[in-house]
Amino acid sequence: MQKTDEPVGVREGVAAVPFHPPARRVRARPLVTAALPVAGVAVVLLLGGTRWLDQPAVQAWRTVCLAITVQAIPFLILGTLLSGAINAFVPADLFTRVLPRRPALAVPVAGVAGAVLPGCECASVPVANSLIRRGVTPAAAFAFLLSAPAVNPVVLTATAVAFPGEPAMVAARLLASLGTAAVMGWLWLWRGDEKWLRPALRRRPAGHEHGHAHGHGRWTEFRLGFQHDFLHAGGFLVLGAMAAATFNVAVPRAVLDAFSGTPWLSVLFLAALAVLLAVCSEADAFVAASLTGFSPTARLVFMVVGPMVDLKLIALQAGTFGRAFAWRFSAATTVVAVAAGALIGGALL
Amino acid sequence: MRRPVQTLLPALTGAGLLHIALFTDTYLRYVKAGLRPLLLASGAVLLLLGLAAALSRGTGEGHHGHDHSGPPRIAWLLLLPALSLLLWAPPALGAYTAARSAAQPLAARAKGFPPLPATSPLPLTLTEFTKRVQQDASGAIRGRTVRLTGFVTPAPAGDGWYLTRIIFTCCAADSQTVKVRVHGTPPAPADTWLAVTGIWHPGGTLGTRTAPAELDVRGSTPIAPPVNAYTDDLPVTPG
Repeated sequence: MQKTDEPVGVREGVAAVPFHPPARRVRARPLVTAALPVAGVAVVLLLGGTRWLDQPAVQAWRTVCLAITVQAIPFLILGTLLSGAINAFVPADLFTRVLPRRPALAVPVAGVAGAVLPGCECASVPVANSLIRRGVTPAAAFAFLLSAPAVNPVVLTATAVAFPGEPAMVAARLLASLGTAAVMGWLWLWRGDEKWLRPALRRRPAGHEHGHAHGHGRWTEFRLGFQHDFLHAGGFLVLGAMAAATFNVAVPRAVLDAFSGTPWLSVLFLAALAVLLAVCSEADAFVAASLTGFSPTARLVFMVVGPMVDLKLIALQAGTFGRAFAWRFSAATTVVAVAAGALIGGALL
Repeated sequence: MRRPVQTLLPALTGAGLLHIALFTDTYLRYVKAGLRPLLLASGAVLLLLGLAAALSRGTGEGHHGHDHSGPPRIAWLLLLPALSLLLWAPPALGAYTAARSAAQPLAARAKGFPPLPATSPLPLTLTEFTKRVQQDASGAIRGRTVRLTGFVTPAPAGDGWYLTRIIFTCCAADSQTVKVRVHGTPPAPADTWLAVTGIWHPGGTLGTRTAPAELDVRGSTPIAPPVNAYTDDLPVTPG
């Protein structure tokens, strides 16, 4: 048993990528069916041996994968607890009363409000989800989703520590991140389509978000919401961590230096690196600081893109908001973030 | 069929976190020591969640059709890190990772260096040694016998091997490598922890980037791997 964990998950991961509408489909599937592939892989492993799992490369992959997961779980729990609390205890109309009525104004306000959620990007996805379910216009919730992991005091302090004597870098990161978040919110107002969101998130006739109507107490509702969000987001987190670990182990860092020569190429390269490496936003400033061969603007782009788009975030968003949304939103955000980073970096750095 | 899953997955994940952070120091292979309280709190919350799911009966849970019924299939992936943490935790990053990463560039240093203590052999961290070689214009390191600790990484080409440390700022995913090349003995097997005494291997101009961070070894002794391998600290006990 104890040697079966890793490959089981790899197979399961592949099998689970297509996202099915939750609940009903799952219910129809008995535990036995879910256990079959597990048993199958166990048999294969018993016959084929497990020694390859202790190869240095595979061990490094497992270590990095576990490191990303273990590092993110506390923040994911913080986010899901907060989102569960918002769902269960915050009156449905609170946010709609506090935010400006006009969506175009609500977007920048929500972006600035991102500064109050101290944590990394894993916490902001479930919170943004619960904001939408509480009636906040999706554009504002997305601005919050993008800005929260980048502009909170913890991350800005880390940036200041990583770039000693360069306060311009902190200011540039703050401005570029807020700018990207606001532009993406407005872009959603202009071009966004609620069809891309999972059905549960589309706007419904006012007054029945799920929950209180079903006859359990708020605490039960809170617990069920937390349980579902954690299981769901946790699964996608593991998937994203596996993807990021694969890149991390497969591509040696020495390759990076090959790209540092051309200015525009280095900007694009570090943007792609931010997506693939999936470093937590509390740590990405230190990684950026270590990429000394690259221009300050390229490093700024790394720090603006990283908290907004990366492999584990795309997986989390696909799970939370739907795949149709995740890839469109991530692609657009990457373009906007690179542009904002390049503009602000060019002006300030 | 749903209750066991909703109990099992959070409970196993919580147990895994408590196992690595409360009962052992395994968590130091993956994350910073500072994350420990958060890991313990997370483990406790998840165990409670599993317990609550196990205890709650017949509240109609799962029988209404909205999102909160049944766990999504993707949640099964959580079984992997949970079982891996409980039963088969992989080791800290080592020679494989170090061999594939470039040495971490030194941070610029504005002020001069204090004089070196007179102790001999002089214990230095790999970072400190590299700084003394490449940034200390006074050349105080020249001819001094120093004592460095780290693990062995074979060099792909050329003479000698690397004494290495891996450090990170957040988790093992953002690791960086500090290396000092060692000349004069055949390499021990990869990932062996050693305390090496020796003197700077001359080359380039001492105090500038042209000076290589290399050591002519005079002696080496195996040491126990530190509990927290991701530091570039001096060993607590001489070994």
